[in-house]
Amino acid sequence: MPHLTGKHFFALLLLLPLSLLLASCAAPDNGALRFGLSKMPVTLDPRFSTDATSSRINRLLYQRLVDFDAASMPAPSLATWQKLSPLHYRFTLASERALFSNGERLTSEDVKATYAFILDAENASPHRLTLARSIERIETRGDDVIDFILKEADLLFPGRLGIGILPRALIESQHPFNRSPLGSGAYQLVAWPDDTHLRLKRRSDDLLLEFIEVTDPNVRVLKLMRGEIDMMQNDLPPELIRYLSNESGITITHGAGSNFAYLGFNMEDEFTGVQQVREAISLALDRDSIIQYVLGESARPANALLSPDHWAGAPALHQIAYDPAAAKSLLMPLGYTPENPLHLTYKTSSDPFRLRLATVIQQQLAEVGIKVELKSYDWGTFYGDIKAGRFQMYSLMWVGIKLPDIFRYVFHSTAVPPEGANRGRFIDAETDRLIEAAEAANTIEKQSELYQQLQHHLVQQLPFVPLWYEDHVFIARDHVSGYTIARDGNYDGLLDVKRQ
Amino acid sequence: MLSFVISRLLSALFVIFGVSCLVFFLIHLVPGDPVEVMLGESSQPADREALRAALGLDQPILVQLMNYFNGLLHFDLGESLHSKRPIADMLMERIPATATLAAAGLLVAVIIAFPLGIMAAMKKDTAWDSGAMFFSLFGISIPNFWMGPLLILFFSLWLGWLPVSGQSGIESLVLPALTLGTALAAILARMIRATLLEVMGEDYIRTARAKGLSERAVIMNHGLKNAMLPVITLLGLQLGALLGGAMITEIVFSWPGIGQLTIDAINRRDYPVVQACILLISLTYVVVNTLTDLVYAWMDPRIRLGNAQ
Repeated sequence: MPHLTGKHFFALLLLLPLSLLLASCAAPDNGALRFGLSKMPVTLDPRFSTDATSSRINRLLYQRLVDFDAASMPAPSLATWQKLSPLHYRFTLASERALFSNGERLTSEDVKATYAFILDAENASPHRLTLARSIERIETRGDDVIDFILKEADLLFPGRLGIGILPRALIESQHPFNRSPLGSGAYQLVAWPDDTHLRLKRRSDDLLLEFIEVTDPNVRVLKLMRGEIDMMQNDLPPELIRYLSNESGITITHGAGSNFAYLGFNMEDEFTGVQQVREAISLALDRDSIIQYVLGESARPANALLSPDHWAGAPALHQIAYDPAAAKSLLMPLGYTPENPLHLTYKTSSDPFRLRLATVIQQQLAEVGIKVELKSYDWGTFYGDIKAGRFQMYSLMWVGIKLPDIFRYVFHSTAVPPEGANRGRFIDAETDRLIEAAEAANTIEKQSELYQQLQHHLVQQLPFVPLWYEDHVFIARDHVSGYTIARDGNYDGLLDVKRQ
Repeated sequence: MLSFVISRLLSALFVIFGVSCLVFFLIHLVPGDPVEVMLGESSQPADREALRAALGLDQPILVQLMNYFNGLLHFDLGESLHSKRPIADMLMERIPATATLAAAGLLVAVIIAFPLGIMAAMKKDTAWDSGAMFFSLFGISIPNFWMGPLLILFFSLWLGWLPVSGQSGIESLVLPALTLGTALAAILARMIRATLLEVMGEDYIRTARAKGLSERAVIMNHGLKNAMLPVITLLGLQLGALLGGAMITEIVFSWPGIGQLTIDAINRRDYPVVQACILLISLTYVVVNTLTDLVYAWMDPRIRLGNAQ
């Protein structure tokens, strides 16, 4: 055994870290426009993506047959369509269309291969269910025409074809699109060197774009202020947005959003299952104050799941009033007063901002005689409890709602988890009837009318209290221009973004 | 020494086996269904069952355990439920970042702690001693999630010297290493002071002084060497923690290490990744502690002799 002196030991102790330090040097800044994200995309394979970030970035990498207009009505994207019969839709690809980034032309065979892969149960695509319910088979007619034959009439069918199209040859060779995406979108992958950096290139002008994950919102703001990132969207608490609004060299843009926040009830619970209790809660909430003081004016009060500008929205729906006196008078006959309060539990996630909102709601309900115990859990536990019906009240948000079939998914009596997302176990014959009638409608106009009736009915039944639609906030350094905020919060603004 | 090494390695293997079993069963006890995570809330029972079968989750738990160990023995940790990437690749991408940060944190800690601890011991009950111990208390008391942003504010935003976060070169390592190292230095400095004070009262130190050795030689050659044993133990434990991923620091500085991967996987309920990360963290602890034991025995013959007897 060699003699180890103290000097040798210290030298070893210092040399090991030093050698690792020198090995740690990474690539320097590459001059790209840098976009700060709170979470990186999980997968860049649109057949499997379900998280918002993946879906938003996939929109930049892949083209899809159908998109949505400002009223969330399906609109042509890569293809136009004809409804040849209630069970037969024909899609024709645009003659002028971008090539895949490997130079290949996108054809009807690529469309068929993409959807056939999703429909194959063995591939376990999370998008299979929605499509498998509708599609009987897919047929191609030449390079540009694809026929979708349906199992049953579905007025909303074109709106279900929003998945990015992949090249057939690479699907067949089991190309790993999740890390090496290859589409015909406006951007193409340059590199995904690690899980916190993703580099894309805009195909029209070679503009480099780098997504950088910065989990902590404070640090994301500091990076923006120091110029280490150039822009970001959402995922910031209002106080940080207020702070940034006083900083020079930074521009903040707000855009109306359609992400719907609500307070859900367990209808099987002996307390929240009572109509008067739910009404009292809805009347006790001062949503305008919460929007003004807690959300920093970055939201619009909501009265229904679909925003009023949605084609099936209900703009005539009356605003739920803030009336604590009426709330008290509803609780009084039930024996509850501020002195003898009703005790309820309210579950929320451990996100600090959601917890703060819950605290404000707790205080507002206390004033009318409802003593709320807050319980916050990590996301998985919280979500698991909600799906299992282990709650009295909870708050959550619906993100990216486009099609009104969400109503079946959320409110139909057959949609209790795991069959759907009727988490509150709301069973109501009239609601079922209106949903089924809307689905069976022959025209979009009739369908819209029935969904509006449904939303009026839901406001009376109150299986949830609509809270607000949260705005989208885009924050950029002054040299960034040309970005427009999308209503659903996607990153399509990056198609036109410029560095001045 | 050989028998000591063998007994320690056998013990480490046993611990690794135990940890692997524990991780496997704990993950299966966690509420939530990975199949539902993959397919979504509204997936059909038939689809769920098909995927469950494809993943082998429909098999009895002991069969799953055997498959898990079979995979481990073949260095196959499986795939991420979400990204579908091999978990081994994901870990291999993250390990260098975590090792670098741990090494840098350790370096900062050693550079700060040794002079501070020695000075405090040598100038006991003076202002120097009080100052050093105040710093130490300060370092222990400040949580990393606060220390990190403070350092960012000062060095990145106000002075503009260093990047806020990320892994963009050696300069990006300074702040996370300072954040990690300061807390470790504080603990280490207190330990060095205490053990050095104890050692400096020993007879052999008096003898060394009587031989006419300089005070520096007495401290460095006799005092510090003998005071190192508990310090090495502490360093080993702390290094294990650092290599397991300094989660808070990694999140604050967007450092793409094991800690951040673990948190992301937990939030996404990506159970195989969580399982692999916990196993890696446990393995790191076991390996580092085994190495610490071996260094301990190497430096102090009484330990290996005692073990042999």
